[in-house]
Amino acid sequence: MDNFEKHIRENAAAFDEHKADRDAMWSKIAHELENEEPKVIPLWKSPMLKIAASVLVILGLAGFIGITVISNTISVEEQYASRELLDIDMHYKNLVSYQVQLVQNHPKLSAEDKTEFLSFMEELDAEYDYLKLEMQKNLDNELVLEAIVSNYKKRIELIEHLLKQINDSKLTEEDYGYTL
Amino acid sequence: MKTDIRYTHQDLVEKCKKGHRNAQYELYSLYVDAMYNIGFRMLESKEDAEDIVQESFVNAFKNLESFNYDSTFGAWLKRIVINKSINHLKAKKLPVVPMEAHEYYIQDEKAVETEAVDIQKVKAGIEKLPKGYKQIINLYLIEGYDHNEIGEVLDISTSTSKSQYHRAKKKLVELIKEL
Repeated sequence: MDNFEKHIRENAAAFDEHKADRDAMWSKIAHELENEEPKVIPLWKSPMLKIAASVLVILGLAGFIGITVISNTISVEEQYASRELLDIDMHYKNLVSYQVQLVQNHPKLSAEDKTEFLSFMEELDAEYDYLKLEMQKNLDNELVLEAIVSNYKKRIELIEHLLKQINDSKLTEEDYGYTL
Repeated sequence: MKTDIRYTHQDLVEKCKKGHRNAQYELYSLYVDAMYNIGFRMLESKEDAEDIVQESFVNAFKNLESFNYDSTFGAWLKRIVINKSINHLKAKKLPVVPMEAHEYYIQDEKAVETEAVDIQKVKAGIEKLPKGYKQIINLYLIEGYDHNEIGEVLDISTSTSKSQYHRAKKKLVELIKEL
């Protein structure tokens, strides 16, 4: 490095002849820095916090798994109760509809008698619907289940009774004819 | 070694790393004029220099975590300003090194011994330098960079930096003589 260069380097400060408009520039810098994403605070530097966070995560996971398992058991029970109800329902429904069909197809019954009888059945139908709703609300209530069963039984009894009456009158008529 | 010059303003720098706005302002106040002058010399425009210096400070504060006292804070910041200035010039397609006779530097460039000249004359001489000569003169003579650093900044080899500098210096000396 020659004297020319040394002299300039030694007096480099003399080249700083401008003054910055520092306030205006700072306001822009500060504005830019404020728009920055919030600084991430290194919380996890403390080992206690690390442990606390781990415990929280484990508790959270355990809680989640627990809830899932319990809700699964509940739903299994629900399915079981529903299936029981469904089986009973199917059995009686088939029976009732078969017998209603018998009544409707019976040649010796007048239309009036049929509608009167079927209106009875409709009443029991309404009761049955109500009981079914109750059943949904309170699944492990055996009383409701029993009521449903007795509802069906009543219908069947009624139908059987009716059919028996018709058949009895038929018998007497036949007997009558026979005696003649 | 805490007394090392690299740790100048360490307390302030550490506060800035934590995002203290007052410390940032204090550090800014200490360096803004120097940085503005560097920007002005490189870009020859008040507005461009302001933009580049603002950008550099924002950049520096946002990335202060990566500053590990390998140099002084001032040198680190200066490098940001210079890099941004060079990129700005390149983006504007302005020459950052003398364009002509790029390939023939090996034979014709030799260090010329020159005597000390009045600083005011040097300033006037630099003013008159053609485009592409000023940056390398500024970087070497005023910013005090060596040819390795200039090579990095301008993305040229060390030998190219040397030859281009000597070419520019020769031109400067001629201009000063004419004054």
